[in-house]
Amino acid sequence: MAQSALTIDGLSVDFEGFKAVNGVTMTVDDGELRVLLGANGAGKTTLMDLISGKTKSTDGRVYLHDTDITNWEEHKIARAGIGRKFQIPSVFKELTVRRNLEVASCKKPGVFANLRFGFGTDAERNVDEVLELIGLTEEQDRIAAYLSHGQTQWLELGLLITQNPKIILLDEPTAGMTQAETHKTSEIVNNLKGRHTIIVVEHDMAFVREIAERITVLHLGQVLAEGNVEQIENNPKVREAYLGSKGIS
Amino acid sequence: MPMKRKIDWAIYAAFVVLVMLLPLVMDAFWLNRVAKYLVYGMLGVAVALSWGYAGILNLGQGLFFGAGAYMLAMSLKLASTTSLQQGSDKPVPDFMLWNAEPGAPTELCCINKASFLWLPFQSQWFGVAMGLILPVLLATILGTIVFRKRISGVFVSIITLALVLLVRLVVIDSQPVTNGFNGLTDLGWFNVAGLEFDPYIVPTYYLVAVSLSLVLVGTRLLIDTRSGLILQAVRDDQNRARYLGFDVPAYQTFFFAVSAAIAGFAGMLYVIVSEFASPTFMDLTFSITMVVWAAVGGRASILGACIGAILINTISATVSETEGFAEAWKAIIGLIFVLVVLYLPRGLAGLAHDFIDRLLARKPTASPQALPVSETSSQLAE
Repeated sequence: MAQSALTIDGLSVDFEGFKAVNGVTMTVDDGELRVLLGANGAGKTTLMDLISGKTKSTDGRVYLHDTDITNWEEHKIARAGIGRKFQIPSVFKELTVRRNLEVASCKKPGVFANLRFGFGTDAERNVDEVLELIGLTEEQDRIAAYLSHGQTQWLELGLLITQNPKIILLDEPTAGMTQAETHKTSEIVNNLKGRHTIIVVEHDMAFVREIAERITVLHLGQVLAEGNVEQIENNPKVREAYLGSKGIS
Repeated sequence: MPMKRKIDWAIYAAFVVLVMLLPLVMDAFWLNRVAKYLVYGMLGVAVALSWGYAGILNLGQGLFFGAGAYMLAMSLKLASTTSLQQGSDKPVPDFMLWNAEPGAPTELCCINKASFLWLPFQSQWFGVAMGLILPVLLATILGTIVFRKRISGVFVSIITLALVLLVRLVVIDSQPVTNGFNGLTDLGWFNVAGLEFDPYIVPTYYLVAVSLSLVLVGTRLLIDTRSGLILQAVRDDQNRARYLGFDVPAYQTFFFAVSAAIAGFAGMLYVIVSEFASPTFMDLTFSITMVVWAAVGGRASILGACIGAILINTISATVSETEGFAEAWKAIIGLIFVLVVLYLPRGLAGLAHDFIDRLLARKPTASPQALPVSETSSQLAE
């Protein structure tokens, strides 16, 4: 347990008879970057929902380091150290880019604790660094609603980086991106390696190759295989279930 | 950005100064009228806070206004000498005497089954305190239920709308304690350490003007806090805020309650200025009208919504008293509303903001070293 950041033990959810996630057990080490692969309906997003508290599990446990966070309220799980990026990019549309990041830099959850002005020089400097990292320094005074799709995705990544959680869950961070944008996203994600434990759901194999260390393949709500890119590509069960006979293309 | 903030505050200051100077040019009759409009302006602030900043379209703001109004009116009713002298030497409100069962004791404690509720209101300050506590309490209970259950958008509006109508019905139905349809009239004057606030004297105007200024500045400062910023984040995307770790319902409930407190405060001031409280405060049309004020003035601007309320009421008063328009004024107000919604979705305040932006943008382009200058200025500000 010592270096494992996230431990999932027999996690299941039962949607009136349909088990979207069925007895998933996996351990993600501290600082690891884990990719979740799987066909549509394999339970990848549901698994993220279960970890982040959006969906309540019906069986099994989730541990963040040694803390049992199973079925906590979402904002408490977030405070405990799990950040999440959604499939559909969600940012605060009517606030400027900088304001978005300032919101994420508020460390206290409650309304009364935040009844004060300003964010402090440390927080502002941190916001500047994040702006630099996600490449939106020039756009910092723009209203988020006017950003391009790719920029919105990066801003949401920026929110997560500012929030600075121990574990970052990324649900298809390159969905709808051009090749260049995808490449920049992988740079950002690679930059986070080591500082955060990252779990990524992704379909784009080019992106997976750029970032992946270990891959867990889900199929019909269960873990089918686990290993590095090469092992997964050559695993006959994975080929059969997900990749077809053509292999990873 | 900082330059814009300065301009913003300068406009606030200008508004406050203007309001403070009005008694120099107006007679008592008009001052009393304007005082009422300033109270409406305060309601505009309450609506802008909950609708514009919290994203909660409350169609029952009149509930909180009415609650504040009735609480103070009960105290002022008990302070009214003319009301109390109608057929009894005991301090019992006139309408209770008129409706008393034969043989009932003419005491406030027990003239009817619920009249004891009035006992603590013999203290004016109890009425004042309740005028804030009751709206905040109602808003906190309602907010806790609604926001914890993650009800949002139009459903919140429908719930608030239903609630204000329900309470209105209860107030009308409780004739023995509330005087039903007639409301509480023939009130005494609000009294602070011997100074009686006759609605037609200058100090009463200043009571309202200073209150409005404090509420304006206070609300604006509240929005400038981190919590105010997080509130706007919650408005834009609840889920995103939740997954950043914020206790979303706490933010919504808190600001909903603040908005209720402002409305309750406005209700009390209205009672002082107009000397009555009535169930019409909880009419649906009144609550909707408040939303119209805020929409015209600009719901995303505290001062804008306030000015919107004052402006529309001034126009209504002038237009409805012009002979040719006596019948048509409601249509004119309606037309203004439709035009604003169609062409100025951010209201008059949005128009003003665009204008200021254009003025500020013109300056840097005039100078050849535009970019470096603006960069250093923003660094200095940090």
